[in-house]
This record gives sequence, structure tokens and C-alpha cells, in this order.
Amino acid sequence: MTTSRPQAMRTDPNIPDADGFYEALVAAHEGLSDEESNDLHARLVLLLANQVGDQKVLLACIAEARQDVAERPQR
Amino acid sequence: MSTETWKFAPPYELPQWPFVAPPDLGAGEPIRYPVVIAGGGLAGLTLACDLALRGVRAVVLDEDDTVGVKGASSRGICYAQKSLEIFERFGIYERIREKGITWSVGRTFSGDDELYAFNLKDDSHSEQPPFINLQQFYLEWFLVDRIVELGGTDLRWKSRVLQVEEEAEAVRVDVETPAGRYTLEADWFIDATGANSRIRSDLGLEVHPSRSTDRWCITDVRFKVPVAAERWTWVDAPFNEGRSVWQHLMADGVWRLDYQMAEDCEPDTISRPEVAGARLRQQFGPGVEFEFVWIGPYQYRDHLLENFRVGRMLFIGDSAHVVSPFGARGGNNGIQDAANLGWKLALVLQGEASESLIDSYQAERHAAAVENLTVCRRTARFLAPRSPAEHRIRRAVCTLARRHEFARRLANTGRMAQANAYPPSAWAKQGSRSVQNVAFEGTNLMRCLGRDNRFLGLAVGADAAALASLDALAALFPIDFRGVEPTSPLAAHLGVERGTVVVVRPDAYVAATLAQATPDAVAAAMRDALGVDERERLAAVA
Repeated sequence: MTTSRPQAMRTDPNIPDADGFYEALVAAHEGLSDEESNDLHARLVLLLANQVGDQKVLLACIAEARQDVAERPQR
Repeated sequence: MSTETWKFAPPYELPQWPFVAPPDLGAGEPIRYPVVIAGGGLAGLTLACDLALRGVRAVVLDEDDTVGVKGASSRGICYAQKSLEIFERFGIYERIREKGITWSVGRTFSGDDELYAFNLKDDSHSEQPPFINLQQFYLEWFLVDRIVELGGTDLRWKSRVLQVEEEAEAVRVDVETPAGRYTLEADWFIDATGANSRIRSDLGLEVHPSRSTDRWCITDVRFKVPVAAERWTWVDAPFNEGRSVWQHLMADGVWRLDYQMAEDCEPDTISRPEVAGARLRQQFGPGVEFEFVWIGPYQYRDHLLENFRVGRMLFIGDSAHVVSPFGARGGNNGIQDAANLGWKLALVLQGEASESLIDSYQAERHAAAVENLTVCRRTARFLAPRSPAEHRIRRAVCTLARRHEFARRLANTGRMAQANAYPPSAWAKQGSRSVQNVAFEGTNLMRCLGRDNRFLGLAVGADAAALASLDALAALFPIDFRGVEPTSPLAAHLGVERGTVVVVRPDAYVAATLAQATPDAVAAAMRDALGVDERERLAAVA
């Protein structure tokens, strides 16, 4: 029996229909103000986080997303 | 402009105790005492009462002659189950229950909607409820009464500590009183003088304070509206300009309403009766009659002392650690510091344990303080978002929480105080957790732990022969044994089966859980728990 190790963040392609997902994501923002769009994104992040349900993966994803921001101190 | 006139309730009537000139005044040489406690607040009085029950006569030095804080209303209001269990052991729980407000339901609102409710009773197996609300000074009052009733403790009012100085085997304490100054010596000196301890700062001990920019205004009122005896919190109340509000009932029909204010507000302005009254009118409507008991603006802060033990000086309660008020983790942890330290000091003073046992106070209570700081800082950050992005994330949580359970878990208006579990250490190799005051076989755990300073060995399903062989240990270590039916609620709460011995410390924390326990295994656990080997111990007792 193999012991299950906590999964590292996946960066290999894992979205079955990538183009279809992208289309649905942008469609969800149609007609929204910046404010509404940003709120939608925040809700989406929380919903997706609950699907992942793995603290290590979640923290790795937060760090990865932050990496593309120009260096500045985090409070 | 409102033309309403604002009524204030008469102030609370609190007892006063007289200054009595101690024998130290005019004594040639300083008198030596086993334990001297500076500060008669929750932590100091709890320790004095605990020690009195364990046969140690402490001296308590308090600069005031009453309970509570002069010119202010109650600080703490919520007393958690672990604290209530300690007070049950002290014999003051019934008085607290009669005076206070028992509650277990909390509700969190966002805008006009309830996001979620919790009932802390669901996880409770104790004889004591999850929480009782009571003004802090009543609790201090009951503690003083009990300490006086037990006798032995030297409560010294109007006695201010001027200076402490560590010597080789004692601490010298200079005290100022209305009748002059004197010096005494303590085997152990306890600083329980609170957040602004001058004793601590005079010693140059750094606590790395951090002050929040978040501002609040407490408004304690008495009024006649049907409000539930529950803890209600608003993340963003429509009647408080979208900021947080707390609502909680205390004794004497006094409601504590705590309003989050704008960061740039003027404390003097927001606490004026007409301003505070207008806030209340926003919440409860124009027709509600009420009178103010107290209005107090505040900013919370936190701090943490690195070492709760410095030689023969120990720091308990707010002197050692301060957290933001969310979750009732301040006063309750001062009480638990005291209960953690009491039995250890007593056993060391009575020669039953190694002096190194005192270091376990640091190991356990510092770890608890770190955990509480983390928990409270997270709540504080949820309640006071620092940027538009944080507001957005919180808004997303509140929106989703209306429909989805997972998001309710992200809404954080305070994680209520629990008895912190302690990490594995030399004294408890498996770590240590609190045992609730479960009723079993016609008694309960607090009654079994009683007044003596002894451990309790719960032998699950043990027959007479097994108990007899365990009982032999009672002559070697401060422990008594008791058989527990495998089917009893206590065995279920502990999650143990026949053949297990659970070694419970005098503070109702588990020292060790030993499956298929032999007397040798129990003896080894006791040596660990006392930080002593048997030869050392017998030599000390001899």
C-alpha cells in the first residue's frame, strides 16, 4: 500500500477543455463594472479554493500568484 | 439636533477591604514568604485561591482596596468553560452561575442577514456551560470572599510594589503602604499586575507591543427590549455605518454594546452621551427606553513576554500576554495561567516535585499565548480590513456565507476561548489536553480533584487486584487512583478503553494516557510529570 503524500501544486495542464473554460470565465464578466468583476473574482477564488481543499496546495497557489507582482514588502 | 436627555444608572456598589498594617512594618529583617503575588486581579486572585486550596499561604499585594478598575466598568465579560470548571473546584461556581448569564448560542450577521449561528453546547460534556457572562469585578469579588473564607492567604490592600530585586535564593520586594514602606522576601514572586506592569518594565523585559489602529466604543446600557441572551455580532451593521457591532448580556440586566468606530474618529466625541445615544437609537429605534451604565472608547493592542519565568519571578495574565478582545481569550487565559502554575508551585514548595517543573509553566502557557495571539490577530484582521482588496475578499466571504457552509467557516467574528492543548514536552511526552468536568458514577472530575494537591489516575475497567497494585504508587507519588467503568461518560469523553490508565494532573490536564498500563508505566509518567526521579524525590521529602 502506498501512503498518500500531500499533492504539490499542479502546473501541468489539468483543465479538460481549456478554451471552453476560458470562454465561460470571460463570459461571466460580460456587462459588469470593474467593481462587480472584481467581486466576482473574489467569490470565484473562494469557491475554487474549497474545491482544492488542500492547505499546502492553496498556500503554494497564493505564493505562485504573488510571484508576478513587482517586489514589495508584504505587511 | 436631538433634545433627548440621557440618563445614567447609579454606579456599581463594590466592596472595600481595609488596609491592615502587616507585621513586616517595623520588623528588623525582611520576613520570608513562600509565594508573594503582586496584583489582585483575575489572574492573581485565581492563583491565590488555588494555592490556598493546595495548602500554600500566599501574600497578595494590591495597590487598591476594592475590585475592578477605578473609574471604569467591567473589562472582561465572558468566562469560558475551563475557567468555570476551575471555579467549580474553588467552590464559587454556583455563585457565578446565579449572578451571571449562561449562554451558548452565538449569531453572526452581515447587513440585515444572519450568516450563521453556533451552539457551543453541542461539543460540551461538562457540568459547566460553555460560557457565563459576568462583569469582571463580580468574579474578583467572589474570589476575594472565597480566599477570605478559606483562610491562610494574606490579602494586603493599599500595598504597592515599588521595586523587586532578585537575590540568590529569593526575591526582595519593596512595598509602599499608607503606614509606610517595608521590604519582604519571597521564594517565588508572581507579577499579576496587568498589561501595564511597571514591575515588568522596570526589569527591562520587552513585550514587543503592537497597537491596532482599529477603534471601538463600548456602551454598557440597561434597557427593556426583548433581546436574546446570545452573543450577537455584526460584521458590517447597517445601523453602524457598515462597521462591526457586538451585543452581549451581562449580570444586572446590563447589555454590553461594542461599536466599531472610524479609524480617524475622536475618542472624546464618539463617547459623548448624545453621540453614543444616537448610535443606540440607530440600532434599537426611537422609542426604546434605556440608561447608560458606562461609555468607554478604546483601541486594543497585543503583546507577548518572551519568558514567563525569570529566575524566581513568574509573570501571569496580562503582564505576560495581551490579545485583542475577540473570543474572550484575555481574562480566561490569565485564569488558566494561574491554574497551570498553582499546583506546580505547591508541589515544588512541598518538596514533591523538582524545581524544574516550574519551567513547564513557560513551556505550556507561552505556547498557549502564542496560539491565542495568532487566533485573535486573525479575527482582528477580518474585522478591520486594511485595504479595498481586503474589504472585497471579506465581502465575497459574507456573500457566499449566506448560501454556503464552507464560506461561513471563513467568516471570523471571534473563535471563542477553549482550554488550549499543550505541545509535547519533557513533562508530558504525548502533549497535554484539558479534560472536561464530566459527571460520572455519582461524582464529577472537579470533585475528584478536590482540595488536595494530587494527581488522579483514572483506571478504566480496572478490577480490585489491578487497583490495589496501582494504589501502591500513592505512597511514592502524589496520585490517587479511581476505577472508571469503560461504559461511563468519562471514559467516552477521554476516548479510552478497558486497561487504560489516564493520569490527570491537578489542573485537570492529562499528563499521560497509558494503554494496557502497568504500575511501572504509571510511575514513569509521574516521574516525567513531576520532573523528578524517585531518588531525588525521596531525598527531597526526607
